[in-house]
Amino acid sequence: MTDQEGQLPVRVTLNGQPASFLAAPRTSLSDALRDKLRLTGLKQGCEIGVCGSCTILVDDKPIRACLMLAVQADGKRIETIEGLATNGELHPLQASFQRHHGLQCGFCTSGMVLTALALLRDNPAPSRDEAREAISGNLCRCTGYETIIDAIVDPDAMRATQVGHG
Amino acid sequence: MSGRAAYIADLAFPDVLHVSILRSPFAHARITAIDVSAARAHGGVVQVWTGADVLPRCGGVMARMELPGFVPTVQPILAHDIVRFVGEAVAVVVATSQAAAEDALELIDVDYDELPVVADIASAVAAEVIANEAVPANLVYRGHRCQDDVDNDFARAACVAQGRFSNNRVSATPMEPRGCIASHEWTSGQLTVWSATQMPSFLKTMLAIHLAFPEQRIEVITPQVGGGFGQKAHVHPEEILVCLLAIELGRPIRWIEDRRENLLSATHAKHQINEMAIAVDADGRFLAMRNRSSTDGGAYNSLPWTHLVESHVGASTLTGPYRIANFNDESLSLVTNKCPIGAYRGVGWSAGHIARETLIDRAGRELGLSPFEIRRRNLVDQSDYPFTTPTGLVIREGTFVQTLDRLEQMVDYRSFRERQTAALAKGKLLGLGLCVFNEVSGVGTRALSFLHTPVTTHDTATVRVEPTGKITVTTPLVAAGQGHLTTFAQVAADAFGVPLDDVTVLAGTTRNAHGFGTVASRGAVFGAGTIGRAAEAVKVKIRQLAAHLLQTGAERITLSEGRVHVTGSPEQGMPLADLAGAAYFADATHPPEFDPALEATAAFDPADVVLANGGHAAIVEIDLETCLVRVDQMFAVEDCGKMINPMIVEGQIRGGIAQAIGMTLLEELVHDGEGQLVTTTLMDYLLPTSVDVPDVQIAHLETPSDLVPGGVKGMGESAMISAPAAIIGAVNDALALVGASVESFPASPQRIFDALQRASKVDAVPAL
Ligand code: FES
Ligand code: FES
Repeated sequence: MTDQEGQLPVRVTLNGQPASFLAAPRTSLSDALRDKLRLTGLKQGCEIGVCGSCTILVDDKPIRACLMLAVQADGKRIETIEGLATNGELHPLQASFQRHHGLQCGFCTSGMVLTALALLRDNPAPSRDEAREAISGNLCRCTGYETIIDAIVDPDAMRATQVGHG
Repeated sequence: MSGRAAYIADLAFPDVLHVSILRSPFAHARITAIDVSAARAHGGVVQVWTGADVLPRCGGVMARMELPGFVPTVQPILAHDIVRFVGEAVAVVVATSQAAAEDALELIDVDYDELPVVADIASAVAAEVIANEAVPANLVYRGHRCQDDVDNDFARAACVAQGRFSNNRVSATPMEPRGCIASHEWTSGQLTVWSATQMPSFLKTMLAIHLAFPEQRIEVITPQVGGGFGQKAHVHPEEILVCLLAIELGRPIRWIEDRRENLLSATHAKHQINEMAIAVDADGRFLAMRNRSSTDGGAYNSLPWTHLVESHVGASTLTGPYRIANFNDESLSLVTNKCPIGAYRGVGWSAGHIARETLIDRAGRELGLSPFEIRRRNLVDQSDYPFTTPTGLVIREGTFVQTLDRLEQMVDYRSFRERQTAALAKGKLLGLGLCVFNEVSGVGTRALSFLHTPVTTHDTATVRVEPTGKITVTTPLVAAGQGHLTTFAQVAADAFGVPLDDVTVLAGTTRNAHGFGTVASRGAVFGAGTIGRAAEAVKVKIRQLAAHLLQTGAERITLSEGRVHVTGSPEQGMPLADLAGAAYFADATHPPEFDPALEATAAFDPADVVLANGGHAAIVEIDLETCLVRVDQMFAVEDCGKMINPMIVEGQIRGGIAQAIGMTLLEELVHDGEGQLVTTTLMDYLLPTSVDVPDVQIAHLETPSDLVPGGVKGMGESAMISAPAAIIGAVNDALALVGASVESFPASPQRIFDALQRASKVDAVPAL
């Protein structure tokens, strides 16, 4: 079987722009985004839905791209980490991660930021416990999580997400 | 952060071929036949290799330690004849896509004859079955640090605390699995290797040796590394395999492992049993310690650390910062049919510290001394310096008693005991544990020889002042999240008195400079050491030229705020940029015989063991219904000398504490009696999540080192040396309320349940 055979077209809105690609029915959305669209900001730490490093937003909800088939994304609105920074300027939430040293190796970071972004859009002023709970499905082996929570409940990050940057 | 940093799996190469590796399903078996014909015929497959194909090209990963009696091993790149652990590589498929490689892998047919298995330390010691025929009696090494006569001390002790502590096998589990890409350009004879490694220079040399390839034509490039913690500080057989394939096929070869492969075949860690006893007099003073530590080391030695990274290294500091006059120990490094053991943050120290501190608490309880008091009576203090431990470590500095005092304040000990009693009345078990430690940090040649792992290491850095006064630093050290590049830039910026933005640090390729690696709390120490020394050499030139231009003595020249000037009068001078311009372009300004190269390379290796110190305390609660342990509070005191960047130091502490919580309460690589690994996903191998790890209260003490420029000490391992002991101490403090204890880890709900079943004071809690 050659690569072209049996592939299906997938049309999505990707970081605000229309995009389309071909994917075999068994291809995961994470593989498709990484390999076909070269959006390598999402990472794969387990590929079975446990680590959260592949988290992206699909129709505003954080989902694990490794658990979703690429073809299931057809017609959906996808946001990845690449869509956050604009014109070379970090999104306020990303800037907050940086300020609080909320990342070390950075491998979990795109998943963490998108999970946090979804939280802040839903709940503009979460408590530390709410932030802790929200990221409990995202593993980080480096930071011990505390500074990630600091970054999420930072007033600048919260305010900026509220006024529509996010 | 922005999604732009490139990790190994993010690199794209035209014409790349993908690799998938078939791994052994048996812990010990003879391979009687392999049929790869169907796999070879599969669409997209370019090559299939078995052990027979690789053997003539490379005999395997050779790992030895130059110690009398040490038994070296060779781990085949692909197993031939015999497999010795579940997960050992048996065959490799190379294909045009990852999917094709994986599909073809399933078409390989291997016949195995199962052999008896050495599944644990007991059967390794019994030696009725041999795990690896290269190692007689399954014994890689038997070590003794000290053979003091301790019998008298034990005979006269008012209290003897003893136990048999089984530490779990764990995995460092960086969130990014391992990966390697190699490309061989036959026209130039250049081999370029991208690897998520913590030791690029060492890997380059080892590749040259194992591939018999000219080292000057190998470049190892480290992309962004998604965490290492020691696991990526080895030469893995897969790295050699990928290079062999690249040379053979003339196309880039890419191997990115998945999590299952990582848990099966990337080095495991910390698997040891400690049979320990301490003798204590009626005043609570330690008289002697006895220990036998046995490492379940797996089927082969890892390169470069070998089995010795566990019990053997652990013994070196087992008496810790305590005055223990007599010590008698034995360490056994045993082969078993499991994945090789290797380095993981805290290495051989974590398990021994748990055992020691648990026994200290037990003795304290028996003698009616608080955990702080019994330690205070035994800690080495300023008045003892220089203090030589039984293992020969000379302690010249350290703030052990201050650390203890600070911890006692932070936990508010008295009120904790009140809370504990009140909670007990409500059927809740609270516990407090602590540990005070010293860390052999910034590990160089002296430290490695103290640890009886004779390896010589040094690193270099190059510092150049550019014609416009900007600074370029090249370093061999790589950053796997420790924030080193910022730290290094800071060292250079401070040395030249320029803003941080004026410094660029180049790292990530072996073209730059030479070094051993970013392991063993080396980064900050070697970065500061090499960059500091190279900067000093360049500053000699700058002072020389400035002195000539300003008509003064070189010793009167200062660099600060971007200027080079006469000390004490900043206006008498010039911008660094002007001086650099003069050095490069204005020959007429030079003093006679002036060598205008504003560039220097310097090596660094500390003249002695660099000792950091600190302590941790934990407060836990055990839920009697679920038998779950929750860590309520964590405290850390760290003295790592001069801190270049406190945020980075604290990040290392918090991350290490999370790993300590994982190791002591959650994580366990479980093998069945046949040596089968049953925890091969992150659903079975439980990493701590955000709800398992509390915020950490941190306090700093600062005793600058006089061995390292800038007074820096390393501290990357500290939390995994001593926080595990604090957490287990807290669990046992809680269990002691009902007359129970745990000595096997992790302290999982099942083990807590079993401990409670054996509790001797059940009436203490109404709920039991
Ligand atoms: S890679 Fe998707 S959850 Fe781990
Ligand atoms: S920063 Fe390394 S895994 Fe989170």
